[in-house]
Amino acid sequence: MPRSEASKNGAHHDSNFSSNVVTIDVGGQLFQTTKQTLSSVGSKSFFSNIISDSNAAVPFIDRDPDLFSLFLSLLRTGSLPSNAKSFDMQDLIFESRFYGIEDLLIASQSNPDQFDAFNLDRSLILPLNGRDSPSAIATTPYGELHVAHGSKITSFDWSLRRKSTILTQFMAVDSLLALSPALAAAGATDFSGLQILDLDKGTVTETLNWENVTRSGSTVQAIGASDEHLFTSFESSRRNSNCIMVYSRRDDLRPVATIGHYEIFGADLDSAIPSTKLQWISSHNLLMASGSHSGPSGVSGNIKFWDIRSGNVVWEVKEKLDCFADATASDVLSSMFKVGVSTGEVFMADLRNLGGVDPWFCLGDGRKVVNGKKEGLGCRVESHGRQVFCSKGGDVQLWSEVLIDSRKTEGDERVFRKNLMGRVKDLGGNRIEKLCFGGNKMFLTRKDEQCVEVWNSVKSY
Amino acid sequence: MNGLNPAAAAGDRIKLNVGGKLFETTVSTLRSGGPDCLLYALSNRSGHDPVFIDRDPEIFSVLLSLLRSNRLPSTAKRFSNQELIDEALYFGIESQLRSSLAPSRINGIDASLFTTVKPSSDAVVSDFNAVESDGSLWAAHGGQITVYDWNLSHTATSRTHFDFINSVRRIQSDIAAIGSLQGSGLHFYNMANGRRVHSIDWVDPSDVRIYKARVHAISDSIDSVFASYDCYHGENCVLMIDKSTMEISSEIGRMPGNSAKYMVPTKLTCISDLGLLVGSSITSGAFGYSGYIRLWDPRTRDVVWETFEPGSGRSSRFGDSLADVDVDLDELALFKICSKSGDLAMADLRKLTDDPWLYLKEKNSSLRGVGRKDGRSFAIHRYRKQAFVGRDGELEVWSRVEENGVEMIVDEEMYRRNYMDKVEDSERGVIKKIEGGGDRLFVTREDVEGIEVWQSCYNSGIASASSRGCSLW
Repeated sequence: MPRSEASKNGAHHDSNFSSNVVTIDVGGQLFQTTKQTLSSVGSKSFFSNIISDSNAAVPFIDRDPDLFSLFLSLLRTGSLPSNAKSFDMQDLIFESRFYGIEDLLIASQSNPDQFDAFNLDRSLILPLNGRDSPSAIATTPYGELHVAHGSKITSFDWSLRRKSTILTQFMAVDSLLALSPALAAAGATDFSGLQILDLDKGTVTETLNWENVTRSGSTVQAIGASDEHLFTSFESSRRNSNCIMVYSRRDDLRPVATIGHYEIFGADLDSAIPSTKLQWISSHNLLMASGSHSGPSGVSGNIKFWDIRSGNVVWEVKEKLDCFADATASDVLSSMFKVGVSTGEVFMADLRNLGGVDPWFCLGDGRKVVNGKKEGLGCRVESHGRQVFCSKGGDVQLWSEVLIDSRKTEGDERVFRKNLMGRVKDLGGNRIEKLCFGGNKMFLTRKDEQCVEVWNSVKSY
Repeated sequence: MNGLNPAAAAGDRIKLNVGGKLFETTVSTLRSGGPDCLLYALSNRSGHDPVFIDRDPEIFSVLLSLLRSNRLPSTAKRFSNQELIDEALYFGIESQLRSSLAPSRINGIDASLFTTVKPSSDAVVSDFNAVESDGSLWAAHGGQITVYDWNLSHTATSRTHFDFINSVRRIQSDIAAIGSLQGSGLHFYNMANGRRVHSIDWVDPSDVRIYKARVHAISDSIDSVFASYDCYHGENCVLMIDKSTMEISSEIGRMPGNSAKYMVPTKLTCISDLGLLVGSSITSGAFGYSGYIRLWDPRTRDVVWETFEPGSGRSSRFGDSLADVDVDLDELALFKICSKSGDLAMADLRKLTDDPWLYLKEKNSSLRGVGRKDGRSFAIHRYRKQAFVGRDGELEVWSRVEENGVEMIVDEEMYRRNYMDKVEDSERGVIKKIEGGGDRLFVTREDVEGIEVWQSCYNSGIASASSRGCSLW
């Protein structure tokens, strides 16, 4: 269209009271919206460019008008209209990529803010091909999911509608952590080195090793991460030394520090236990590392809190009686939680006043006697949001703090109550092995089942 | 200009009225189908009136989405593939549709049973040929040959003069070559009209005992067909037949057939890149497997290389003779499966020695020793750089691990073995034949009707959890 005509039209618009109103022709259908709506996704976006670049009075986009109308609602309100349910999510995702607003779509569909522990429905099953059951799962904050089964890792996108599978060098992956939607750190207790995997290409981008004294291989016992660092618990293949390596995530995974380096001499059992779970507690700037050992005299273990800058243990809990089967810490609740291996009960310790001989406070039935039984064996405990999730057998217990009232004085006991998650038909089943959270969903895997179960906060879209 | 405006710019907008519904798009979108398609011709029309096309607007909107974004929208599921194909043919954009309907690259570690193709009668398939070039499938069942196109839709069925066909091969776009152990000769059928167009028998004017020779295996190259014949007294050979003249151009590898070493080849593969013909025969009995692999140069008719098991090769592998062989034409390698250990071995066709085999190591401790069972039935097929192995009813895949994006040099630890199927799949029956084509893997089982089609898919197969447990597959 000649420039003069465009400016003439522009002049016409200026004189109008609605100079902000923009008319767009999408695939033959006219839409009217405001400049503010179109530029709400940023000044460099496709939509801002439509207004500024087009010489025509009515800019034309050669795309499907029905899908565009959904995105216009998304731009206006931040959520999809209800008639979006009649469209396939895949179509929306591909179309949103064309417009460059996939992030907006993700934020409306798989937002961690929408996670509601009391409104989780066991809604979906993600089947895995082949005969291997999942050995490790990892999620990103917006709900991408990576599942390691056998020597393979299958990745699902945030909508869980698309998957891809890569082959790794591992026989089975024991630890998996998602660094980004396309990058994951993987390690195994029978394989030397931590591998950074490109899940799109199926290649190893980097292998991180710990040079131990015995010059044997170094197997990976646990992986953890903060925004700045990647933590890896290594044990030498000869199992006579272990340490936690700290890598910088900001600086190409350059090794920053080695903490908790233990060489095992004599019968010092405690130093022989590598950390099998690493968790960063950002509010306290501490790394929680826990590990346990099962011997003839029962299970014993320790939980250490490391200051990674000084490399010192700030606090250590030695577990002799009713050692943890699994332990976790919650930033929001400023507490750590464990499941006792012999009682199978959930315990809490307040991170703000650690110091007593036994910091643990039993949330469940505290009268249980510690005997030789191992009721808590295989139980998992994870915290997400303000809740603590504890798997026992095939069920998940949900522990939540009851806030009584505002006059909270020192020494007041905090009140936690338990729910069994799911409806009657969801209860039982094979033992839950892994529990993970991402987006508005909870993911869990069960023993001998080649699938991932998805518990969704909103009604499945 | 008579309504034609060849100078229409790619960015120009164009209005279409399809069956009463208005569409607006750009000239470049319409032209993405290439200059021969109907839509390209329409894009040259000038004027502001919408062009009227008397077709269904719903299907057109699917095809327009395909042209705009290069992927089929989910609304396409409302129509059968055949409807879409017919409509795409009308508008001349079949190639775009084909590439969007084609399965994604087959990845053995992430493949599942897609469908089972079943002929309507005599549905136990005795042999089939998956054609890589056009993704079609040619199946012999009973005395019939049935062709399925790239979309697995039935194209043609021909009744032949045989009551049971043992081998079938597509040798030209319409011509199938068949052989049967019940009757003599190699026969060519035209699938377009169901007629037998030619047949070739093996005769030797100097030897009257050569008569009624039956065909055991068929292979072809661009210009020749190879078929292995044997007579009732065992004497056998491979005939090379020129595709253009349909006449025998040479007789290769005549063997007496008096021992396992000289039996008729039951598997033939022509390696055009090296100008070689690979033949193999494997028999199994009470004392295990025995067989040979032999390479001929069809031009000189000489044996280039041969191996015979048990008897040659590594002494540590004695008693672990080959159970099935396949040739990888892309990587120019031979793959064999060992009958006793169940191991996979490969040999580079470019440097064959007395013992060229590289035995791939089983690193998965849970699978180690799984194949060690006597009296098993094996089938192996190499496709898309993966080895697919049928072990009785079980289907497994050996795939190569890549490191840093570069394929590792050949070493025995670079392959991983994984099950492709579930336990339930393996109970359907003993796997007879595996062949890949058009990024699909086709599997037939003994005395089971139909051909299983396995493929990989980006779709996660997400399912509702309303039904308890994993009864979803």
